[in-house]
Amino acid sequence: MSNGIPFAEALARYRSDSVLEPLPEPVDVEALINTFHPDHLRDSVVKLTVGANAGDSCQRKLAELLQAEAYIDEADLAGTPVTDADVLVIGGGGAGCAAALMAAERGARVLLATKLRLGDSNTVMAEGGIQAAIEPEDSVQRHIQDTLRGGHHAGDPELVSAMAEDGPNVLRWLIQQGMQFEQTTGGDLHTRRAGGMSTPRLVHCRDYTGLEMMRVLREAVIQHRSIEVLEQSPAVELLSNETGQKCVGAVLTSLLNDRLRIVRTRSVILATGGLGRLHLNGFPTSNHLGATGDGLVLAYRIGAKLCELDSFQYHPTGLLHPSHLAGKLVTEGVRAAGTLLVNGLGQRFIDELQPRDVVCSAILRECNEGRGIRVDDQHVGVWLDTPRLERAQPGLLEKQFPNLMSRTRIAGVDPRVQPLLTYPTLHYQNGGVVIDTNGATTVPGLYAVGEVAGGIHGRNRLMGNALLDIISFGRRAGAAATFNRDRGPKKVTLEHVNRLRRALTIAGMPMNNRAPQVLPDYAAGGTWKR
Amino acid sequence: MTGNHVPASAAGMNQTVALTINGVAVNVHAGVTVVEAAWHGGVPKVTGIGCMEGVCGSCRIIMRRGKVVSVGLACQTFVEDGIEVIFLPPASAPRHHYELTDFKDGWDIHARFQDIFPEAARCRHCNGCNVSCPKGISVEEGVAQASAGRFRDAGETFFECVMCELCDGACPELIAPAHVGLFSRRVTAHFHLRPPNLIHRLEELRQEKQDKPGIYQEDKDE
Repeated sequence: MSNGIPFAEALARYRSDSVLEPLPEPVDVEALINTFHPDHLRDSVVKLTVGANAGDSCQRKLAELLQAEAYIDEADLAGTPVTDADVLVIGGGGAGCAAALMAAERGARVLLATKLRLGDSNTVMAEGGIQAAIEPEDSVQRHIQDTLRGGHHAGDPELVSAMAEDGPNVLRWLIQQGMQFEQTTGGDLHTRRAGGMSTPRLVHCRDYTGLEMMRVLREAVIQHRSIEVLEQSPAVELLSNETGQKCVGAVLTSLLNDRLRIVRTRSVILATGGLGRLHLNGFPTSNHLGATGDGLVLAYRIGAKLCELDSFQYHPTGLLHPSHLAGKLVTEGVRAAGTLLVNGLGQRFIDELQPRDVVCSAILRECNEGRGIRVDDQHVGVWLDTPRLERAQPGLLEKQFPNLMSRTRIAGVDPRVQPLLTYPTLHYQNGGVVIDTNGATTVPGLYAVGEVAGGIHGRNRLMGNALLDIISFGRRAGAAATFNRDRGPKKVTLEHVNRLRRALTIAGMPMNNRAPQVLPDYAAGGTWKR
Repeated sequence: MTGNHVPASAAGMNQTVALTINGVAVNVHAGVTVVEAAWHGGVPKVTGIGCMEGVCGSCRIIMRRGKVVSVGLACQTFVEDGIEVIFLPPASAPRHHYELTDFKDGWDIHARFQDIFPEAARCRHCNGCNVSCPKGISVEEGVAQASAGRFRDAGETFFECVMCELCDGACPELIAPAHVGLFSRRVTAHFHLRPPNLIHRLEELRQEKQDKPGIYQEDKDE
């Protein structure tokens, strides 16, 4: 990508009061996506050879991890200390905390293990808001329709209905946990309309919605008497019963001292999040450091069916500069508030509130066809025209987007004066572990909630549906996991690992690659050796 | 224009900076954060890194420039020549315990607060919490507001709090200001946020659902 308009030239040409030409005729959306969306890059997708999804398309880098050797074998289990719990939750983001709280409310003894610090997750970075059909002109039905349409009708209508129906109750539950939301002068919850919504439905807490949610849930979990939290404790393997057919626990390690621990339990809830830190197709990512797809690997190895493994969301407006924020988001809320996208020639090129995959593809088209703003040979982007918004609605950026303002301030950029240079960034795993409306996977005893689960957002997620999804299904799985009142596992084994090893051997696959990844290589710093 | 949005190579950021991180000498080019420097220098056992945009509060550091010691977040701190940085361990478990469901009603909050956070009234205005806050929150003022029963105001003061708990470590009276702030925000929502549009929709859904209860029960009334 060496073409494009040089940065200085584009900036000199930029005017926040220029008269913009009307948008060109709408393009063929399918063709746009098929030509420019990163999911469709040549050679990025392969077919899986072994496991429950053998024959299905999968992103190459993910496929390598799904069909890799485990870290743990029987010898590691001997003499390893065992902890018992009714429910084990793996992951300390919004979904994990919601599941833990719900299970604890239902009387279970819950152990929550998280790779990093409790609350250190993608949830905390979600800025825009949470969808729920609460406005008079809105309805649960419209929420369902918008979600299915946004996902190109690949989502499971049953899951989508369950989530949309939960919406108002999820807000109520969050308020009961102590979460605040923006209100109108009349006391109503304030709503915005964002990409793919037919009506305003996005409830928010300024542009700190995820932070507000996470700090409240984190505190609720810490304060709960029946939840024990293990930080810096990534799960490196699940445990199965003698036949390898049921999930009965997990093996945790510690980033602090590398010691293993066996957790024996009736139900395991995977809430491990996404995989942005695998940097699929070489893209930057908005994700936090722990997003390495560990949950997908563990679930696949124990036999769970996955879906849409070739479909990922690239958020249209990741920051291109300053470099330490590369890939970090400018929330879609900024576009929802009326900010336009402008190319290096000072032209609009897409309706900014189209679904994310469409806007992302359009930005990549502008960059590929030489109308982007070029910083250097590797970095080309388009303007997010924040100064124009400031002219139209003075003070709005400061008031509604304090997070954006404070992040750019330390880098010496003022979005009220200078447009932000943006480029798509790997943001969200659309698919994941197949679940039912209880968050139950195809493997008994194993649940999956949040980004690691799939089937809800089809092939494209709408803004604000992730925060709803994690609480809706987090609570459902937390409740369902406590229904299992058997006496717990008699024996914990690695039968499922042996099964995968046999399959890999028969298929003649290499066994030198181990998974899960746990941390990206550039950040491992000796804390995690494979 | 307050700043120029130019790439590192064009901004003279190619000069090298020497610093220490957890005692390990690191040489990096200027303009990177302490997190990037730790990775670049291969500093072992740096486990507290998360969001890298200053909202998760995990990457707590203490640093010394000459004789001046301060605390902050590694992902928000740019490298400087000669600076000594130590990554702090995670904060210890909280000492103040409460569950919102134990509260009778909104009239009960202030009395409960005094029981749960007795130290808050003993603030000696040492300013330690204020200077420790990487978000520039007027922590001391927030604690005073909460002590006076002004929980909505206190919560607003703590709006940008990322729960790094650096102020907790700085407080000689063990007030745990970050948790005072979160307590204030939570009770405000729990007892006072009653939005008519949400309540109306919940009532509509309740009436629709009356005949077909699922396994997923509606929340019980408080």
